[in-house]
Amino acid sequence: MHPTTLMYTSSLLLMFAVLLYPLLVTFTSLPLNNDWASSHAKTAVKSAFLISLAPLSLFLSTGMEAVTSSWTWMVTTTLDITLSFKFDHYSIIFIPIALYVTWSILEFATWYMHSDPLMNRFFKYLLTFLVAMLILVSANNLFQLFIGWEGVGIMSFLLIGWWHGRADANTAALQAVLYNRVGDIGLILGMAWLATNVNSWDIQQMFILSKDLDMTLPLLGLILAATGKSAQFGLHPWLPAAMEGPTPVSALLHSSTMVVAGIFLLIRMSPLMENNQTALTLCLCLGALTTMFTATCALTQNDIKKIVAFSTSSQLGLMMVTIGLNQPQLAFLHICTHAFFKAMLFLCSGSVIHSLNDEQDIRKMGGLHHLAPFTSSCLTVGSLALTGTPFLAGFFSKDAIIEALNTSHVNAWALTLTLIATSFTAIYSLRVIFFVTMDTPRFLPLSPINENNPAVINPLKRLAWGSIFGGLLVMLNINLFKTPVLTMPAELKLAALAVSILGLLTALELATLTSKQFKVTPLRTPHHFSTSLGFVPAIIHRQIPQLSLLLGQKIASQMVDQTWLEKTGPKAIANATTPLASATSNMQQGLIKTYLTLFLMTLVLVTLISAT
Amino acid sequence: MAGVGFQRWVRTLSKGKISGISGLLPACRSGEILTYFPINIGEIAAAAKKYNIRVEDYKPIADNGEGYGDYPQLPDRSQQDRDPAYQWDHPDLRRNWNEPMHWDFDMFIRNRVDTSPTVVPWSTMCKQLFGFVGFMLFMFYLGDKFPAYQPVGPKQFPYNNLHLERGGSPDVEPEEVKNYEI
Repeated sequence: MHPTTLMYTSSLLLMFAVLLYPLLVTFTSLPLNNDWASSHAKTAVKSAFLISLAPLSLFLSTGMEAVTSSWTWMVTTTLDITLSFKFDHYSIIFIPIALYVTWSILEFATWYMHSDPLMNRFFKYLLTFLVAMLILVSANNLFQLFIGWEGVGIMSFLLIGWWHGRADANTAALQAVLYNRVGDIGLILGMAWLATNVNSWDIQQMFILSKDLDMTLPLLGLILAATGKSAQFGLHPWLPAAMEGPTPVSALLHSSTMVVAGIFLLIRMSPLMENNQTALTLCLCLGALTTMFTATCALTQNDIKKIVAFSTSSQLGLMMVTIGLNQPQLAFLHICTHAFFKAMLFLCSGSVIHSLNDEQDIRKMGGLHHLAPFTSSCLTVGSLALTGTPFLAGFFSKDAIIEALNTSHVNAWALTLTLIATSFTAIYSLRVIFFVTMDTPRFLPLSPINENNPAVINPLKRLAWGSIFGGLLVMLNINLFKTPVLTMPAELKLAALAVSILGLLTALELATLTSKQFKVTPLRTPHHFSTSLGFVPAIIHRQIPQLSLLLGQKIASQMVDQTWLEKTGPKAIANATTPLASATSNMQQGLIKTYLTLFLMTLVLVTLISAT
Repeated sequence: MAGVGFQRWVRTLSKGKISGISGLLPACRSGEILTYFPINIGEIAAAAKKYNIRVEDYKPIADNGEGYGDYPQLPDRSQQDRDPAYQWDHPDLRRNWNEPMHWDFDMFIRNRVDTSPTVVPWSTMCKQLFGFVGFMLFMFYLGDKFPAYQPVGPKQFPYNNLHLERGGSPDVEPEEVKNYEI
């Protein structure tokens, strides 16, 4: 084996070992020490991150990618499934970023979940999730990817329903599982098509063997999978509902890692999509609709976590738009930069929530830039990075995407929606900052505001460094696969900045209205539409379960018996024969004399006619 | 213990109150036979008492041959619709002990269908959502018909359209090719 490949594989193996060791220790009956979460779980992730820097530096200096296949699980005449790992540009860069973010989140969670009696179990779940995510990202065949895919789905369910005594949390966890399952149907159907037509689930083999085939069907399946996992419009309600889980869960799963799995799948399968205009257009339009719709919903939410959740959904829509532009690498860059600032936004909101004694409504926050300066600064930096402020992390990926969008031959409405959503991003970001950090406090006087704990400060600091320099570092060290368009009119070059500034100024104007008392007659309809999340949960979550459950109950208790015994069985025979019998008996009037007379007359006639 | 059950069964049968196979069924041991749709006021009162509802509130499900018997038709309201602040016996289920259960109780639990009133009426919600989606689909169709793109033109080479480089003779006057002017 080539030394580089050996380095890659051994690093990954070491990472898995380091991450699985704390989990396996908990299966023994030995009691865990008091700070197991901090000393074992967090240290394991930190060590895994440091280990992952080795393949990263090797890749950045040599540019060498590798695919390794080790243990063979199944060999049939048509299909082989092996344990194979792909160390390419995407997995080698994503793994250190995911581990860095997870390390920060776990350190934060040692503070956030400190009062929880089952904190160790919480960390176990997070570690299991991380292992599943690494399996997903490093998989070289769809079967292994599916193992990771399902793993992250199940851990998401367990973590969203962490406080399972709360009915709303259970409902949210159920929603996550059901919506992800609908997406899984797409993935499984895609896998089935590929297995039957291309006879392989191996990424390299699929790319080569599908050269001349019409890939629309499996691509639609994969897009459905991404719609479910990455909360695109249609299968999106689970993501805001997932905010029922603890904040570290929202920060890790539902912003940085799990929800990008769908986009990651499409990025991995992008060579299949390159030549299929239907799939690309579908991605573009779906992504544009998602980004605009969720940004609209985010404008009027009052729960800080819901705003950040819709922001995540909007950025996922933007990533989908990028895939629709046939720029998978830019989508990947956005995944990487987005992980930093979105996780930081969630950790800041977690810090604020705990400081205000579990208050999540932004209308009851305020003035925190004096009281929690570090958290407010990080919130501001994160929001600026999110809106694409020049030279912060988000700028390098977001601006590149908008430039690519402006200079491509693209659906005009998708372009419009994406630009509108970009300006909405600035609006709701300013709304969060204004309500949380600015103006005067609107919370109770005796709030346990405390950000002096290093377990809060250090993760935020690390993620702040990432949000500021992450984009620059990644951009400096990678090679772009597709040549970007570098010449364009100044209006297009500055379009992203212009719409963001426009949004910012609009939001500032609206924010100043909050302190002035003048009679406004708000237009209710759009406000209701936005606050009620487009009425999608209200309609879908009532209608579909009602229809299916009622039908199920009816079938189970009445319909089967009624059908077999009454409509097609004994009663049906009775209902069918009764009219026949009554018709026949009605015809028989019992007029014996008339019948005999007629009989005799016809007999005489026949005899006479035959005699002549 | 089985002997006690057997004795009870024999005693009930010998009383002669229940005829036929019904006597063997466990529900009938106490004398309560399979329930039927109530027709007179006495049966209605007995059914209301059995299901722990007031006689005024009791309303049997219509007898369409579906076999509901005398089970009451309770209002189709979900558990989420009930008062969260009231001190229920089972606070998570928002239900009191021995309360009559809706036929579709498992559909109306808090994790499933919710019938609580919405901010806007149902018809308005449907119109707005499907109108929005329809509008978006129509606009995407229009956007596909009239896409946005940067203007492109054919290339314009220098040196008289690369006349000599392309093997043209130096004596022949090259024709001028101008695709655009700067």
